[in-house]
Amino acid sequence: MNIQQNTVSENNFEQCIKCTVCTVYCPVAAVNPDYPGPKQAGPDGERLRLKQPDFYDNALKYCLNCKRCEVACPSNVRIGDIIQAARIKYGPKNKSVRNYILANTDLVGSLASPFAPIVNTAVSLKPVRYMMDKVMAIDHRRIFPKYSHGTFTSWYRKHAAAEQAAYDRQVSYFHGCYVNYNNPQLGKDLIRVMNAAGYGVRLLDKEKCCGVALISNGLYGQALKQARTNMESIRRAVKENGTDIIATSSTCTFTIRDEYPHLLDIDNNDVRDNIELATRYIYRLIKSEGVQLKFKKNAEPLKVAYHTPCHMEKMGWAYYSIELLRMIPGVEVTVLDSQCCGIAGTYGFKKENYATSQAIGEPLFRQIEESGADIVATDCETCKWQIEMSTSKPCEHPLSILASRLE
Amino acid sequence: MNNTYDVIIIGGGATGAGIARDCSLRGIKALLLERSDISTGATGRNHGLLHSGARYAVTDHESAEECIKENMILRKIAAHCVEETDGLFISLPEDDLVYQSLFVESCRKAGIRADIIDPAEARLIEPAVNPALTGAVRVPDGAVDPFRLTSSNIIDAKAHGAEIRTYVEVTELIREQDRIIGVKAYDYRMRCEQTFYAQIVINAGGIWGHGIAAKVGITINMLPAKGALLIFGHRVNNHVLNRCRKPADADILVPGDTISLIGTTSSKVPFDQIDNMIVTPEEVDLLLREGEKLSPRLAYTRILRAYAGVRPLVASDDDPSGRTVSRGIVLLDHAKRDGMEGFITITGGKLMTYRLMAEWATDLACTKLGIDAKCQTATTPLPGSTESKKETDRKTRNRPIAQRRSMIARHGDMATLIDSRGSDKSSLVCECEEVSTGEVEYALENLAVTNLVDLRRRTRVGMGTCQGELCACRAAGIMGKKSPVCAKKAKADLASFLNERWKGMQPIAWGDTLRESEYTTWVYEGVCGLSDEIEKTSAQ
Amino acid sequence: MRFDTVIIGGGLAGMICGIRLVEAGMSCAIVSQGQSAIHFSSGSFDLLGKMPDGSPVTDPAAAIAKLAETQPGHPYALIGSEACIKHAEEAPAILQAAGIPVTGDCHKNHFRITPMGKAVPTWLTIKGYLTADDSETLPFKKVCIINVEGFLDFYPEFIAEEFGRHGVTCRFGLITLPDLERIRENPSEMRSANIARVFDHDKNIEALAAGIREYGKECDALILPAIMGLNRNDSLEILKSKIDKPIYLLPTLPPSIPGIKAQQALQHRFRSLGGEYFLGDTVLAAEMDEGRVKQIFTANHGNIPFRADNFVLATGSFFSRGLIATPDSVREPVFGLDTAYVADRREWYSLRFFDRHNYQSFGVRTDKSLHAIKNGNAIENLYCAGAGLAGFNPVHDGCGAGVSILSALHVADSILKGKRS
Repeated sequence: MNIQQNTVSENNFEQCIKCTVCTVYCPVAAVNPDYPGPKQAGPDGERLRLKQPDFYDNALKYCLNCKRCEVACPSNVRIGDIIQAARIKYGPKNKSVRNYILANTDLVGSLASPFAPIVNTAVSLKPVRYMMDKVMAIDHRRIFPKYSHGTFTSWYRKHAAAEQAAYDRQVSYFHGCYVNYNNPQLGKDLIRVMNAAGYGVRLLDKEKCCGVALISNGLYGQALKQARTNMESIRRAVKENGTDIIATSSTCTFTIRDEYPHLLDIDNNDVRDNIELATRYIYRLIKSEGVQLKFKKNAEPLKVAYHTPCHMEKMGWAYYSIELLRMIPGVEVTVLDSQCCGIAGTYGFKKENYATSQAIGEPLFRQIEESGADIVATDCETCKWQIEMSTSKPCEHPLSILASRLE
Repeated sequence: MNNTYDVIIIGGGATGAGIARDCSLRGIKALLLERSDISTGATGRNHGLLHSGARYAVTDHESAEECIKENMILRKIAAHCVEETDGLFISLPEDDLVYQSLFVESCRKAGIRADIIDPAEARLIEPAVNPALTGAVRVPDGAVDPFRLTSSNIIDAKAHGAEIRTYVEVTELIREQDRIIGVKAYDYRMRCEQTFYAQIVINAGGIWGHGIAAKVGITINMLPAKGALLIFGHRVNNHVLNRCRKPADADILVPGDTISLIGTTSSKVPFDQIDNMIVTPEEVDLLLREGEKLSPRLAYTRILRAYAGVRPLVASDDDPSGRTVSRGIVLLDHAKRDGMEGFITITGGKLMTYRLMAEWATDLACTKLGIDAKCQTATTPLPGSTESKKETDRKTRNRPIAQRRSMIARHGDMATLIDSRGSDKSSLVCECEEVSTGEVEYALENLAVTNLVDLRRRTRVGMGTCQGELCACRAAGIMGKKSPVCAKKAKADLASFLNERWKGMQPIAWGDTLRESEYTTWVYEGVCGLSDEIEKTSAQ
Repeated sequence: MRFDTVIIGGGLAGMICGIRLVEAGMSCAIVSQGQSAIHFSSGSFDLLGKMPDGSPVTDPAAAIAKLAETQPGHPYALIGSEACIKHAEEAPAILQAAGIPVTGDCHKNHFRITPMGKAVPTWLTIKGYLTADDSETLPFKKVCIINVEGFLDFYPEFIAEEFGRHGVTCRFGLITLPDLERIRENPSEMRSANIARVFDHDKNIEALAAGIREYGKECDALILPAIMGLNRNDSLEILKSKIDKPIYLLPTLPPSIPGIKAQQALQHRFRSLGGEYFLGDTVLAAEMDEGRVKQIFTANHGNIPFRADNFVLATGSFFSRGLIATPDSVREPVFGLDTAYVADRREWYSLRFFDRHNYQSFGVRTDKSLHAIKNGNAIENLYCAGAGLAGFNPVHDGCGAGVSILSALHVADSILKGKRS
């Protein structure tokens, strides 16, 4: 007999056997009763929406796309994807100015960066924040990340490009909006580490924002356009230049590798394996290519608490960042319980989500305060903002910590 | 004693319920007796297909005409039970396209709209269809929910004075010379014999009607035909899919509510097996093999369960060999046919023509009773279909959206009677099918529910993906709240409900369905330790 | 990535095996496809409740010895009754060390009380949960069963009905709090975990105590559903200190608090001893080298394989997809191991839901040391443990947890012995 041999349905939601484990690990359902929960919003809801699209519930917007339901699911149901795909397919099209501004990190960054000192001062002023709260529903309690005066890319072109091209071995760097507009130092740290490993760092011909914020804010057309541009550059880098792509942001990495095919229907199969997180890439160089990093001797002891961002948990790659940190002499690493910090990119900026966002993060904040760590390390920039805003500890990317301890 | 009626109807299928309604609307005092719950026979065990008649157009012009007429009537009077999906009759490479023109011509002759559409268009409007199709004809097929339809007839019959008694089985027809004057019956709930009298007894027992007539020595030449079907986990297709060829096995795929159904097989079974229908692995194979030709998606869609019904096929009276079988309506006036006054049998037909069957039987009863009242069932909307969905939707705002839509789909305008406001009423019992506590309570109080299986027929509790794993205990919990006696019964009921669900799952228990079953076993046998309930129940 | 041992599957067997190995100082990774069936725990661990012929077991240790003779294919028989008893005696301390305090004795079954009020024989029960020494005698005559208003996964009426048969009078109590009312606004998320989150707050435990105190006045004891102590361990103690009557917990429908907590406690124990736990990952392929498993590849880690001296397959049965059933076969998806099943699907099931079903004892074949077998040959560095093993009926015979724990310890000991020699 040859029927139903492969019982894995194309309709992945059918693999759900209603064990309800996902609901235990959903950070939103735990604090916000308006959210139907991952099981209802995901596989249960999908079955009803297939019957009739008008079963779509607008409360799906409360899903912060952390994918922790997927990590918990014993049935391999892509619950988070189902929910986000439903938002794309059935949800109302975005018309809010606020969402447009929050989502267009690229555009806003390029406008703000030249006037960084003014912008930074302005958004830290109480009256300005109250006005943004009133006019745009961006919560006044939220502290904005600072813009850098001058972008990473302009620095790179002026001061690094030529020198980097001299290396025999090359890697391409997807820096993301955060490094470009807010924290060029992280990009410089990455270059430092890669150079120490014997690699030169080049940039993609054309890099657009990965689009994660566009997707979560309902700007799918624009997300698709940017994703296509990125994929074109990535393909050229891999196929014509023979370089792998590395990124320092766990969310950018995850978006390009997994959200592009799952949510935007972009086939990236030919190059997906070439796109990876910088810490994983370096781990691999050390473990299987015999690369050795030379660290400072007698550096101050440092207690680092590692926070696993949601998309890192989903990729399963926190191990590499943690192992890298553990290799640094004098660094003592503790791993915080893997739980959502609550910000989820632009989610936590919105007035309607602020309370949910902070309630979700509360157990993590408490654990950080009690950890006795000097510094928190994490691979996600928005987690960093949230942790720095909500706890007394500084937060850095593992590569920045690593770079600071290189000889 | 108040046990005398104008008419006693035996059988609570769609036909019996339809007769009860028809009688009550014409002012006839009617009693309906059903040995189990309503719609437990062939009524609840078919495709739920709102035939356009196209399937019969080539072979049986009369049935085709009846179907399209009733089809149009049901869309009006039972709007909340009907989904106007349209159907496609598709030709595959192995089918002769010549049949298509004969088919279209026959449809048109019977008054059935039949439009030939391009295969490309068919693929566009119905992405689930076999992409290899060579032709398609669009007809006004649809889906009809037999449970809702029957229940709605019962509700209206009761509202107009009919008495409905479920779990009462007729054991004897009381005969006075050449006349039936009443019935003796056993009431399973009260656990006692009861006697009812009426001028006319109508046998609407479907295939079981054979045995009912036999009680007074009357032979009806019935042939029990088993038809097996498979239920798929979600709505695979949004149009009814048929093969454009002579009707054969497993060539109809019907979307109904949240699921899709493929069927049916057809095999003769002996009378002593009609209460014992188990779907065999061979039938499952056949259904899948043929089903995949209609929609290749069935090859990897989860199957929820398998079930089988028994069609009451009737051989024509002048052919004792049983070879000429009609699918048409058979109305037997036993006074004329067998010299037995006061006894009518209505059988044959199909779910589609239940209303017409009821009309015929009631007309005959009226003639016998000397009552001159016109049938109103073709024009009077059933409860649930008296106002537009939009209007009901407006009245039920402020409830969670999926819950509201599901409630309206199941109860039509009667959804406004369900108290589902406030957190104590809107909490979900069944998460797959969005059945709230309020809806369960409404069904328990108003829809003659005696056990969990009945509740399932009224509300779809346990009909979703989990087949009761998550909701059966919650529903039982609500049923058991009233008293210790209720608690005891509800717990035993829970065990038999799980047993009943398993019966339909075991023929197709592989892949995710087996995973679900294993998990259900952990919950109810492992965590809850319920296995001794079933031993106790069967010991009783 | 390189480890001494890689365990595939993070359920009870995988966790216990991993904990034993890291306790002994070995490096160990667990790869788990999502959270495990521990979440559905009843709060108890059973060793052997019934013999396969249905006769009840009072002394599981003695019954295992008998079973080893009559059922040679049973995992207990493969492990050997002596080793079984040794491992069974070790188990409580392992659970205890992980923060799962249990009571019970492998030489005498006690009875756990189910969410439906049934008394079921078992081996170990988490402290705080209601148990009985025999199926008829409960530790009270008059009891108040309390539920949370709107919580649909706990059934005081059913429990009362069962207790009534044993001469216990029951009354009911309902509690609600503003924070509970708030989660109730959601039609589907009034689940035990969310309720427990409410009671993680001191003020709500206080309010609960105040709310149930009155109910305790006319009763010998109070019964509460397991809806507290998700993120703390002192909730029941705090409550007990405020009420002068005994308080017992009963499990709810899954996912249950005792299950969620047990899973998290084991995970935490494993990690705190240096174990690496990879959640939400699927093993896609294994590379063999001269009859040994060399490395495995997973969905998340792609071109970085997991290498180890020993591998343990603890992927469970059908639920967790350690076994895959197609219409005509049962296969093990990771290594394609030999499986024991009946070819004719008709023979897989009984028609009655609560009967023994043959499919429940299908599983992977192993040799006596629980080495996996492929194409008839044992793989020397691949062991199997837990629910995926063939030859036993976990639910019907009440031995699911026992087989998982004992086979896990047996495998761990074999690996450790090999390491030492």
